[in-house]
Amino acid sequence: MASMLNTGLQSEQNIEVHKFYSGSVVLVSFVALILQAFLHKYGRWADVVDLPLLIVIYFGVSRRNPVTGLLLGAAIGIFQDGLSHDNPIGLYGIAKTLVGYLASTIGAHIDTDHPVARFVLTFAFFHFHQCILAFTERALLNQSAPYFSLHLLVDSLISAAVAVFLFAALDRLRKSS
Amino acid sequence: MIGALSRHRPLALLAAVVLAQVLLLAYQIRRSHDVRLIRYWSVEASTPAAQGGTWFFSRLGGLWSGYIGLRNARTENDQLRAEVAQLELQNRELETQANEAHRLEVLLNFREVHSEAQMLAAQVIEASADPASETLVINRGEQDRVKRNMAVITPDGVVGKVVEVFHGTSQVMLMTDKNMGVGAMFADTRTHGVIKGTGDPQPVMDYVVNDEKVAVGQTIVTSGEDKIFPKGLLVGVVASAKDGNPFQKIVVRPAARLDRLEDVIVLLTQEELAPGKPGTPYTVSPVPPPPPAPAAAQIKSTTTGDVIPGRANPAKTENPAAPQSSAGVKTEHPVGTQATPVVKPDQPGGPAR
Repeated sequence: MASMLNTGLQSEQNIEVHKFYSGSVVLVSFVALILQAFLHKYGRWADVVDLPLLIVIYFGVSRRNPVTGLLLGAAIGIFQDGLSHDNPIGLYGIAKTLVGYLASTIGAHIDTDHPVARFVLTFAFFHFHQCILAFTERALLNQSAPYFSLHLLVDSLISAAVAVFLFAALDRLRKSS
Repeated sequence: MIGALSRHRPLALLAAVVLAQVLLLAYQIRRSHDVRLIRYWSVEASTPAAQGGTWFFSRLGGLWSGYIGLRNARTENDQLRAEVAQLELQNRELETQANEAHRLEVLLNFREVHSEAQMLAAQVIEASADPASETLVINRGEQDRVKRNMAVITPDGVVGKVVEVFHGTSQVMLMTDKNMGVGAMFADTRTHGVIKGTGDPQPVMDYVVNDEKVAVGQTIVTSGEDKIFPKGLLVGVVASAKDGNPFQKIVVRPAARLDRLEDVIVLLTQEELAPGKPGTPYTVSPVPPPPPAPAAAQIKSTTTGDVIPGRANPAKTENPAAPQSSAGVKTEHPVGTQATPVVKPDQPGGPAR
């Protein structure tokens, strides 16, 4: 896996900044949020994959712009908080803002188009996102959210796997250079 | 600062966005007692600053009030000290005036009570330079019709007599002077004797036989036998009495405060004073003026050199029994030539006899 990451690692000058069709970012983000909320009512299995998180990661590493990445993460996170009936506004927003910033920053340095790289990045960002969430809940909400668990590990693996296919599908929204 | 922000614009923006959301979260979250977290944070964040500010400003205020504000304290202190000194001086002047007014009021009352008697108010202006001489100088003299041997009293009692008269002043010999003698008697028993100065603050009453019962506190008044002091003037009270040879040794506490005389009264007449108001020591009934004493009875006292009318000097005559108690020797005194004093029943000196 390390060799795959290394092969994908390129110099910053050689990394391509992908552009998407107009409105596609907003549309995809909105659909992901609606779908996440829609599927939530059908059972616990819908919570395994955090679709807004995957969208933030994808557009962050693709646009490779920290500003747009963090703003997109903030917007999606706050929207997700708004759709949650018991989450205070900002809980997911903070976590996804940091994920968006970090993803775009990392995407500016390495090639993230490889499926393995996408799997690893998604897995890592999942846990990073969870750590930020847990920290925020512990610090602000005074709740005992876990930083890591076996259940979270499974979820992260599933999310990473879904992300490989989802990202490949989203690649079709890119403008051809 | 701005350059650093522009160089790290994404990071600054990240911090701003995260901070905004944290604040947003804090605004929504409620802690115990239904207090919003942002308010809790605000209070927690501002409390140290407020405490520090309070401490700082209290120190600053203390510095101001303790040091800087005291720049003019010395000047102000000096001014206040001067003001206090001036007020103290003014206060003393007022006290002096009040005391003087009180004394004059007493004299005036005395004068009003005894309006029939000719008297003259005088001020003590000088005391004797001789420690052995109990004399003082008053501001009344020949021009004020003051003459030698005039009685000097206060509303409290006998003071002394005029011994020298000058144009504007007179010298008064106190009853405590060792050359002074005053004809006196006990107000209740009417026993006669002579008040003799000893140079001490308390004179003695002589010529009272040992058989006579004398009690401490007994009132002594003038008998009028000396032809100087009208009859019935309060002299003092018995301070102590014990048997002696041949007469009792009776120490008298003068009624007048001889150590702090300021205003006195010079009696221009030897007539008895009219009775004063109840409670005053001069409640002797008015009596007709006594006739002049027989010349033969006027013997010059060896101790005073003054003439005590009607009183034989035992030292000169070597007749210690000459002054007797009123019970036995009244006829030997010129008292018999004088009007008999009538003491009213309410007289403080004792029952009427």
